Amino acid sequence: MIPSEAEAAIARQVAAAREPLLVRGAGTKFGMLRPVQAASEITTEGLTGITLYAPKELIISARAGTPLHEIESTLAEHGQHLIAEPPDLSLLLGTAANTQTLGGVVATNLSGPRRVAWGAMRDHVMGIRAVTGRGEVIHSGGRVLKNVTGLDLCKLLTGSHGTLGIITEITLKVLPAPEAVGTIAIPGLNAEQAVAVLSAALGSPYGVSGAAWLPAEAAARLPEPIAAGRSVTLIRIEDFATSVAYRTEKLRGELSAGEILDDTASRTLWRAVRDVRALPTANGDGIWRVSVRPSAGPGVLRAVEGATGYLDWGGGLVWLAGPANETTHRAIEAAARAAAGTWTLMHAPDSLRNAVDVVPPESAPLAAISRRVKGAMDPRGILNPGRIYSGL
Amino acid sequence: MITLPDPKPDVLARRDAVIAGLRAAVADAEGVIGDPISLKPYETDGLSAYRQMPLAVALPESTEEVAAIMRFCHANGVRVVPRGAGTSLSGGALPMADAVVVGLMRMNQILDINYADRCATVQAGVTNIGITNAVSDEGFFYAPDPSSQLACMIGGNVNMNSGGAHCLKYGVTANNLLGLKIVTVDGEILDIGGEHLDAAGYDWLGLLTGSEGQLALVTEITVRILRSPEGARAMLAGFASNEIAGACVDSIISSGIIPVALEFMDRPAIHACEAFAHAGYPLDAEAMLIIEVEGSVAEQDDLLARLSAICNRHNPMSLKVSRSVEESLAIWKGRKGAFGAIGRISPDYLCMDGVIPTSKLPDVLRRIQEMSDSYGLKVANIFHAGDGNLHPLIMFDANDPTSFHKAETFGAEILKLCVEVGGCLTGEHGVGVEKRDLMPFQFAEHELEQQRRIKSAFDPDWLLNPSKVFPLRAPAALPRAA
Amino acid sequence: MQTNFTESQLADPDTAVANQVLRSCVHCGLCTATCPTFQLLGDELDSPRGRIYLIKDMLETNRPATEEVVLHVDRCLSCLSCMTTCPSGVHYMHLVDHARAYIERTYRRPLAERLIRGVLGWIIPRPRVFRLALAGARLVAPLARLIPGQSMLARRLRAMLALAPANVPGPDPNEGPRLYPASGPRKARVALLAGCAQQVLAPEINAATIRLLTRLGCEVVVAKGAGCCGSLNHHMGQHTPAMTLAWTNIEAWSREIDKDGLDAVVINASGCGTTVKDYGFMFRTEPAANRNKAELISGLAVDITELLTRIGYTPTRPKPGLTVAYHSACSLQHGQQITNEPKALLRKAGFRVVEPAEGHLCCGSAGTYNMLQPDIATRLRTRKLRNIAKTKPDLVAAGNIGCITQLSGDALPVVHTVALLDWMAGGPRPEGVPCVA
Ligand SMILES: Cc1cc2nc3c(=O)[nH]c(=O)nc-3n(C[C@H](O)[C@H](O)[C@H](O)COP(=O)(O)OP(=O)(O)OC[C@H]3O[C@@H](n4cnc5c(N)ncnc54)[C@H](O)[C@@H]3O)c2cc1C
Ligand code: SF4
Ligand code: SF4
Repeated sequence: MIPSEAEAAIARQVAAAREPLLVRGAGTKFGMLRPVQAASEITTEGLTGITLYAPKELIISARAGTPLHEIESTLAEHGQHLIAEPPDLSLLLGTAANTQTLGGVVATNLSGPRRVAWGAMRDHVMGIRAVTGRGEVIHSGGRVLKNVTGLDLCKLLTGSHGTLGIITEITLKVLPAPEAVGTIAIPGLNAEQAVAVLSAALGSPYGVSGAAWLPAEAAARLPEPIAAGRSVTLIRIEDFATSVAYRTEKLRGELSAGEILDDTASRTLWRAVRDVRALPTANGDGIWRVSVRPSAGPGVLRAVEGATGYLDWGGGLVWLAGPANETTHRAIEAAARAAAGTWTLMHAPDSLRNAVDVVPPESAPLAAISRRVKGAMDPRGILNPGRIYSGL
Repeated sequence: MITLPDPKPDVLARRDAVIAGLRAAVADAEGVIGDPISLKPYETDGLSAYRQMPLAVALPESTEEVAAIMRFCHANGVRVVPRGAGTSLSGGALPMADAVVVGLMRMNQILDINYADRCATVQAGVTNIGITNAVSDEGFFYAPDPSSQLACMIGGNVNMNSGGAHCLKYGVTANNLLGLKIVTVDGEILDIGGEHLDAAGYDWLGLLTGSEGQLALVTEITVRILRSPEGARAMLAGFASNEIAGACVDSIISSGIIPVALEFMDRPAIHACEAFAHAGYPLDAEAMLIIEVEGSVAEQDDLLARLSAICNRHNPMSLKVSRSVEESLAIWKGRKGAFGAIGRISPDYLCMDGVIPTSKLPDVLRRIQEMSDSYGLKVANIFHAGDGNLHPLIMFDANDPTSFHKAETFGAEILKLCVEVGGCLTGEHGVGVEKRDLMPFQFAEHELEQQRRIKSAFDPDWLLNPSKVFPLRAPAALPRAA
Repeated sequence: MQTNFTESQLADPDTAVANQVLRSCVHCGLCTATCPTFQLLGDELDSPRGRIYLIKDMLETNRPATEEVVLHVDRCLSCLSCMTTCPSGVHYMHLVDHARAYIERTYRRPLAERLIRGVLGWIIPRPRVFRLALAGARLVAPLARLIPGQSMLARRLRAMLALAPANVPGPDPNEGPRLYPASGPRKARVALLAGCAQQVLAPEINAATIRLLTRLGCEVVVAKGAGCCGSLNHHMGQHTPAMTLAWTNIEAWSREIDKDGLDAVVINASGCGTTVKDYGFMFRTEPAANRNKAELISGLAVDITELLTRIGYTPTRPKPGLTVAYHSACSLQHGQQITNEPKALLRKAGFRVVEPAEGHLCCGSAGTYNMLQPDIATRLRTRKLRNIAKTKPDLVAAGNIGCITQLSGDALPVVHTVALLDWMAGGPRPEGVPCVA
């Protein structure tokens, strides 16, 4: 396994560094988690290009700095897609659209609505190459769909926000894109009713691949005017056209509610859900993402006064927007805790991000393990220090 | 043969004290085994060619007992080998002379089933099929289905990241987990994840999955349960050569259909399995595909028609669509019983578990056949064609040491070939002790070193499942993580 | 898997068989999952694979049986669930039978245990003695509570007394050798194994069998000299008495064959059936003449449900509207691999048939097991009854007297499959079975 020139250059830069480094791709997710204080930046922007694409083997490899849309369009040419449907949060986070890199998406493990049925980004990372904090180039996994050789550092690095290593190249499992998309839209349910319906839909044999609920004010921001001032519950089915027709009809019958949206409308709609475009935000709002068991989603929404939000993943993913202050944050923390779930502060002014736990703190023994793992990957603590946990 | 490190003499010398310590940790008197006759059956797992008597066996009944055992072992520098059902095919549960085997099989309770949130929490000793059985009345199932699913336990599945014939669609163990309760090497009880998706922070769940007992003991697992499809049906297609069958697999994947299962067998495998399952496998074919689809009857018909058309383009020698649930069951009985079926025609077999890029299949099979000829050992090949996971079953005679030695070398050569063509050493059975010394073929020394450091972060004194996964060397030389 | 026997060890035919069985085991562990004792006790040593390994080690080292090995082999129910599961075709039954005989030869059990096993092995195969013993047990049963202590002996004694039925039927007038002519033209001539314990505990089973078979055109002969099949002793490792009993049967039926021919030896207690079907193997080392005779008998042996399927069964009464939970006796489903026939016949007879969950698990009866291992047997019984109850049946049907005794006494009537078939074909309604709905 020979490092590429660009990898070697990054490795040298890391090895030579004496001060903390800010690890970045396109920089679209700087607003997430805690701000990093670093002497200099290290970027993957020079690492671009698809290095391997074997559609018949359902595998694509690309360098970390490759813009995601480039990968998406290459796949689309072959009728394939990224399984986890990663969102483009540029509108939400106020960053440039269409610039996010593959490395950024993997390092933050961001997945879209399909996650509820088909797994997260982390589930489809088959191979990874990275430069550790020691300045060494390592790989884990490979270019095949199944691999349990050694510890799974792919999973460890995915979602580690650049704190354990700088991801340089990624191999993903991909799948054929479905021929058709259909949606059942049910207007007017409250959150509890909606989650019960979504639970029934996800617990049906019809392969539901999207399950969201948007209150009226969020529904109003959808590109398709479907709810006319009411909330909307959305259920997606993707497959061959005949199957989609059969299943949406059958499921609507069983739920005895809703209207069926066609392929074009469905695609636009779910793209908006994926990119969190419908979240009602006011200027300067903080944005949170809470992950709980689906049945607890409505409770979380209700518990946070002054915040607005909506539910994805059948109720298990709660997107929240609200005043970017500690009061809101504490309320969200408390609601997530009460539901035995977790929270992530996605966007807020630095002052808040520095002041609060942007993700749940770990118990003392687990935090000790985290420290040792960080030490094992980045003994000098120079990669994105403090990005997830203060002092780490 | 595999080398095991010298046992720690001081631990061997304290044998009685260790057993007494375990007795204090485990309530049931029968839950600690120390006499040599009773220890004997614990000397091996599903890979019975490797054997080593343990120091003692402990069979805890609760997480608290596991924690008590770990506190004792940690305080006394005693190594621990976790064990589930002992079906590992890589010697993952092979004991060490100075180690205590901690068997989780008494922890076999289903703790909670939550249909609304589609998850279930079970103890580590619940069998894989036990989860499905517990939820099937409501139409649900637990997706990963290793062929050993009747016996293997979910704790073992988690630690091996086991796959199955249906993981092309449903993923492997790692993709179907939500939470774990673990006991660390020093006896702390920790909760990882929960009933929700994608916990924030580091992905401990992902790292622990497939960690082969190197990082912690797993005592409880929260898995996702899925609603069963409306129905499923399989078809069989026989082909005149491995190449043609391989080309057919390519065409299927290119067509946009992802069958729930896409399994390949070569001629010797077809014959062995047919003799056992009487499923109507094509005995004249050189290669066979089992293709399964799901959905309503109409959807199945539609997909099977499309697939038949694809197969027909590759001149199949036979094409048979199952007409009933019984026929489908028989088809799967043959495939799932494949290893045992080989056991009927050969006293012993070694099951390899390499992964290759699917396009390399015909090539690799040809090379394996050449090796088979030169070693004079028969081999049958079973292949998860959708994901490239190849199981060559090397037949040998364990009562003949040269035969075993040849089989071992043959196996190693196959695995090296897998790595050489762009694949890996193991797709689902784990490195264990069997492939430990082959790790340098897949990883550079500094990469292994990096993995070792992660292990040290969890288990600074290297007490957990010693001598597996990482090529041996004196642990004393390891830098202790801060 | 690998074995370590010397040439001279392998010269012994029994060891040679054991070696063969051991070699065919690939140590995959699949069998552990369906073993009742592993389910309950969660110890490799109480699993088939563990027992195989214990036995292997004992035989390889030529070591007299030790307490540890005996403990775990004794706990084996011989339910043979492991054989159904095993994909490699390991003949566990032959291995464990050999191990039991080996234990009996090389291990001295504590006195109390020797006594119990000796007494059971002597009494049960002898119907008249057994009947007396039961009557006696009945008399002292109320005293069971007074047996003090939690020692194994005390628990076993209590278990035995608890199993004695409230009223032991007197000797059936039909008991003893006899010929029952076919009603109508004779289509087949079959010998019925009248058995030992069954004819004492439930004489109506033989009566129903005979009624039904003669009605269907079979001449049924209860051969002179035939009696207990020997399985009881066999499973306790009491090799000589087992062989003697088996041989007596072989001789008795061979005489009938010589006399007028036999189309089948029909058995309505599946535990016995498994053994009779194995006579050929049991006598494999005997001189050819004896071996051939044994093999011939084994070849003729059929379970009553197999015979009925073969000759054809049709009910004459209207559908009873009853739901039957079919309990598959281990000796039928695992020992003889008969699973469909009984259910198909019951359905044909007009019953709605339901199958309880965990159907592969033993009910704990297992010959003398419920007396020798009362704790495990009781746990299995409770588990079985719970699974049966969940199917909400009107009654339970089983094809083996052991299971019938073990499962009786709870809320539901438990009857022999053949009694129900006989009823629907014109026979009397079996006792305890609810009236037609
Ligand atoms: C016939 C046969 C067919 C098979 N088919 C497949 C297949 O299709 N797919 C597949 O992936 N595998 C297969 N296997 C391999 C094997 O069944 C799996 O690896 C299985 O997950 C092992 O589970 P187990 O409970 O037997 O674990 P064991 O074999 O007891 O242990 C496996 C490993 O996990 C560790 N471990 C076990 N439990 C725990 C725990 N609670 N905490 C920490 N560590 C633990 C052990 O130390 C060991 O390293 C097959 C095996 C056989 C014999
Ligand atoms: S016969 Fe029954 S109890 Fe005995 S080992 Fe086999 S499955 Fe277990
Ligand atoms: S299932 Fe058969 S081959 Fe496997 S361990 Fe049990 S007896 Fe041996």
